[in-house]
Amino acid sequence: MPDQKLPSAWKRAIDRVALWSRINSPWLVHFNSGSCNGCDIEILATLAPRWDLERFGVKLWGSPRHADVLVCTGPVTRLARERLVRVYEQMPSPKFVVAIGSCGITGGAFHGCYNIVGDIGDVIPVDVYVPGCPPRPEAIIDGVVQLLTKLKPPRTSRARAAGGAG
Amino acid sequence: MSTTEFSRIQEAVGTLAACSTTSESRMDLRADADHLLQAVTSFRALNWGYLSAITGLDGGPAPTDGHIGILYHFCQGPAVVTFRVEVPRDHAVVPSISAVVPSAPLFERELSEMLGVEVQGLPAGKRQFLSDDWPPGVYPLRKDFSPESAVPVARSAPVIGSEEAPGTFIVPIGPQHPALKEPGHFEFAVDGEIITGASVRLGYVHRGIEKGAEDRSWVQALYLVERICGICSHIHATAYTLGVEALAGMTVPPRAQAIRTIICELERVHSHLLWLGVAAHEAGFDTLFMFSWRDRETVMDLLESVTGNRVNYSVNLLGGVKCDIDAAAADAIRRGVDYLQERTRHYLKIVTTDESFLRRTRGVGAISREMSERYGTVGPTARASGVTTDLRKAAPYAAYGQFPVEPVFSQACDQEARFVVRVKELFECYRVLREILDHLPGGDLAIPAPRKVPEGEAISRVEAPRGELFYYLRSTGGVKPDRVKVRTPSLCNWAAVVNVVVGQKLADIPVILAGIDPCFSCNDRSFTLRRRGRTGGSGHGSASAETWSWEELRAYGIRYYGGGR
Repeated sequence: MPDQKLPSAWKRAIDRVALWSRINSPWLVHFNSGSCNGCDIEILATLAPRWDLERFGVKLWGSPRHADVLVCTGPVTRLARERLVRVYEQMPSPKFVVAIGSCGITGGAFHGCYNIVGDIGDVIPVDVYVPGCPPRPEAIIDGVVQLLTKLKPPRTSRARAAGGAG
Repeated sequence: MSTTEFSRIQEAVGTLAACSTTSESRMDLRADADHLLQAVTSFRALNWGYLSAITGLDGGPAPTDGHIGILYHFCQGPAVVTFRVEVPRDHAVVPSISAVVPSAPLFERELSEMLGVEVQGLPAGKRQFLSDDWPPGVYPLRKDFSPESAVPVARSAPVIGSEEAPGTFIVPIGPQHPALKEPGHFEFAVDGEIITGASVRLGYVHRGIEKGAEDRSWVQALYLVERICGICSHIHATAYTLGVEALAGMTVPPRAQAIRTIICELERVHSHLLWLGVAAHEAGFDTLFMFSWRDRETVMDLLESVTGNRVNYSVNLLGGVKCDIDAAAADAIRRGVDYLQERTRHYLKIVTTDESFLRRTRGVGAISREMSERYGTVGPTARASGVTTDLRKAAPYAAYGQFPVEPVFSQACDQEARFVVRVKELFECYRVLREILDHLPGGDLAIPAPRKVPEGEAISRVEAPRGELFYYLRSTGGVKPDRVKVRTPSLCNWAAVVNVVVGQKLADIPVILAGIDPCFSCNDRSFTLRRRGRTGGSGHGSASAETWSWEELRAYGIRYYGGGR
């Protein structure tokens, strides 16, 4: 969309709608860069009926081209590094990264293994880390919620007045 | 192993190898590299057992040892026959045994990449499970390897389908793809909808665990091997602890063995239900995915209530287990199992009667028994092809001796059979769980384990949810393992599946791949196979104007989507 030709009021309105929809229905893409599967099955469990993340508008989607949030698991192996960067670069901006599990934070149990190039933060910028080996599904959901909270615009004085102390 | 079998093998190999028995179930055959192929050929003529794994052992640089040992483990039931070959480190050459053992190339490929053993007769191929920028001549499992020496080297951009004949259309899949839950890279050559060739490149989750274990103490390594796979973490830990306990000569209390077995079976239930959901999802049957994952939470709750964690339960200690099952927990498990049994009956009905689902599974991806044995498939994949091996019965470990399991198998060989075998195995899990809970032995949970493990070697084989899991452990009497070799079941199943997809429809690929319940994190290694008239590569690079190079494509993608933040 040729934004620059729009009057600024229009642009602000469109941005607000885009942000509103991004917060209310983030699309996730999942990439495993060397995980043991533990975190991956817990991510899938968040979609299963007990937690059913989709009812909140969160969708796990196969293509990085359509995703807002990259959900990453595992330490980064030598072979997966390039691919992780590529998946990240394929995502349209603005984009966010949630690193799931202890390995994504420090390399975890695999720290010091020769084929590990580092944690996820060493390779791409990470917005939220979720610790645990693996974290429970509730923790993963909380990680995504933390990210969405960060994205929310600061409440205006009028909204504060209407919503009380907020 | 009976003495008659022993003498039969001794007679067959004759003077080609020196025989010795190390225990009642193990026999060593020492051969030199020149006579290995001949010895294995005459041994194979007996039609005894199957090749379970090839272990490479580096003795260290010259003054200490200067040799690399190569161990070919053949197994049948509880018996293991090991061909041992020693080659000098600076001239490590062995012949390929793939002519007589068709399942050997995977193991030989690993041997050559990880230890720098030249396997003569093994088809040359591109880098398999180390990364493409790994420097040549650096072998991670050699004792004098240091991570600093693995400096990345320049490499040419990977060209998709570069080894195919001109005009072949290649469909690349992975490592990030909606049909894959884990990273692996596949290239399918297609003629319209029909697949004419397939190759797989794994190693995206190769972390270097075997080497990592050598840098950790016996106890620390337990937590590392538990994280080889998050789905079957307990079985890895069990195989490892059983091996270490055998090395240290520990007798584990019967209650500990029974609790280990209970967790093994609960894990199998969770793994099979997980698989049922994922496999149904790949066939486009998301309702079954949701149902089976909902019911799987029952067993996840049980695992959590007993062990304190949903995944990576960390139940095993060297010498026993760390959590008990009291009467209340036993009742909870019984109730959970009753519910799951009811549900599993329903699933069995679905996978055998649902018309639209059967069209995706019946007659699809058939692996004949002959093919299954040739490529050395294991576990439910093999049992769906009529192979009756189940180590829980063939070579009982932990408490399976007192609580025997009946293997479930099918002669149908197709995708439907793989569903039926796994679902029916669930009933067997429920039965064994009730049986153990009703006769849970009393006594201690664990005995203390020594910090140093006596010198020696041990082989530990267990039946993981995906098939036979093989561990080889060697100690030099220290606080750290000298070698931990892991051969996971998924590795054995790839060869058959890459061959069976040829001639199938492209749309059936996700279902067939899911059929073996592949576990990439277990593999952490890879191989390539080409089929049907592939004449080898002549390197069709990215010179043509229509073909974009990796960098061009990447730059275009960044530009198009307004990359960066």
